Amino acid sequence: MSPVRLVGRFTGGAVLALGVLAAAAGSAAAQGAAQPALPARLGVPARAAIVAIMDSARDGGLPTAPLAAKAAEGVLKGADDARIVEAVRSLAKALGDARGALGPTADASVLDAGASALRAGVTPAALRSLGAAGAAPSAAPALATALVTLVDFVAKGVPPELASQSIEQLLRLGAPESRFETLRNEVEADIRDGQSPEAAVTTRVRTNVQQLGAPGAPHPPPSPSSVPESTR
Amino acid sequence: MSEQREDEELTGPLGRATRLLQDEPSPRAEWREAVLQAAERPAVRPLGWRVRPAVAIAACAACLITGAAITYGVLRDRMGSGARDVVASENGSVRQGQLPVRFAVEAPGAVHVSIVGDFNGWNPVGLPMHRLSDGRTWEVEVGLAPGRYAYAFVVDGRLSRDSSAPESGTDDFGVPNSVVLVGGS
Repeated sequence: MSPVRLVGRFTGGAVLALGVLAAAAGSAAAQGAAQPALPARLGVPARAAIVAIMDSARDGGLPTAPLAAKAAEGVLKGADDARIVEAVRSLAKALGDARGALGPTADASVLDAGASALRAGVTPAALRSLGAAGAAPSAAPALATALVTLVDFVAKGVPPELASQSIEQLLRLGAPESRFETLRNEVEADIRDGQSPEAAVTTRVRTNVQQLGAPGAPHPPPSPSSVPESTR
Repeated sequence: MSEQREDEELTGPLGRATRLLQDEPSPRAEWREAVLQAAERPAVRPLGWRVRPAVAIAACAACLITGAAITYGVLRDRMGSGARDVVASENGSVRQGQLPVRFAVEAPGAVHVSIVGDFNGWNPVGLPMHRLSDGRTWEVEVGLAPGRYAYAFVVDGRLSRDSSAPESGTDDFGVPNSVVLVGGS
């Protein structure tokens, strides 16, 4: 074999090996970057458990950022590792259940809101029904906001079943996002005025259904911005 | 000519052993037979593969493109998988799809105040708040997409609820959060 041919072979092999290494390194770097950072305070077993949960979630097409955020929240609040792992596992399960109820097309914000609804006490069947109602082309953009409103109502003390049915009614009538925000504000004002959460939701939803059901019913104007209670 | 060729073929330890066995009778016939059979066997060609430089460069380029595609795909998935990239907004300027949300807390005498929540991965250094001219109120405005967010303030390293905001309905760690509902319009 001539020296030139030998050098050519060596160079070709080296370039090929370099390419494979570069591809592998790029892929590994991307995988590392895709993993949201976990707090340094977590012990090795807890970190390994959370990484496994996040890997499994990613494989199932679930968002992993909320899981990392949950771990960080636990660390910030001084919770022990076992409790943090349990909280992350519980959230991952809720996200998976939300995916099962809302379907493969639900985006991260809808899944997040769906998981919150399940953790608040809404049943998977009710969530599935809400997802179907929100799947109509006219209602799709409002689904995340509708689910956020649902969670808010349940947090205020409205029974989950009533809250689910009320929100579903509005979704089926094609209520826009702004309608849900207005509804939240109305219900909150009614509760402040002394009405029970259940009565406030029932009354306000009935009014909204009548408005949406009437041809040419005007939609409420959108609020200029949303600010927390403390700064409104 | 044929003898010379035979000499060339029978070189090295095996060749020397073969010649020795051919010249002198072996004390054990089966040994002699085995060695002679081994010498008559065709030489084993070493395993290997050859790659032309041009093919190697093409393969390298394909690997790099594949690696870049994997990197892009993973990062794109990450961006679309709920990672929330929130920064303090300046003068109400926010990204498309976000709304400006102003948070404020009274913390007279505090040295450092920040806000943590679902919107910034509960990172205590990600969103520092600014002290207003009254010397007691700390404030920050952030752009948030429509949604429901649990949050808290970190006042000189201590977690503090926003007492004027609703409490989070669900809490996994026994320390309630405040909640802000954003959007819909």
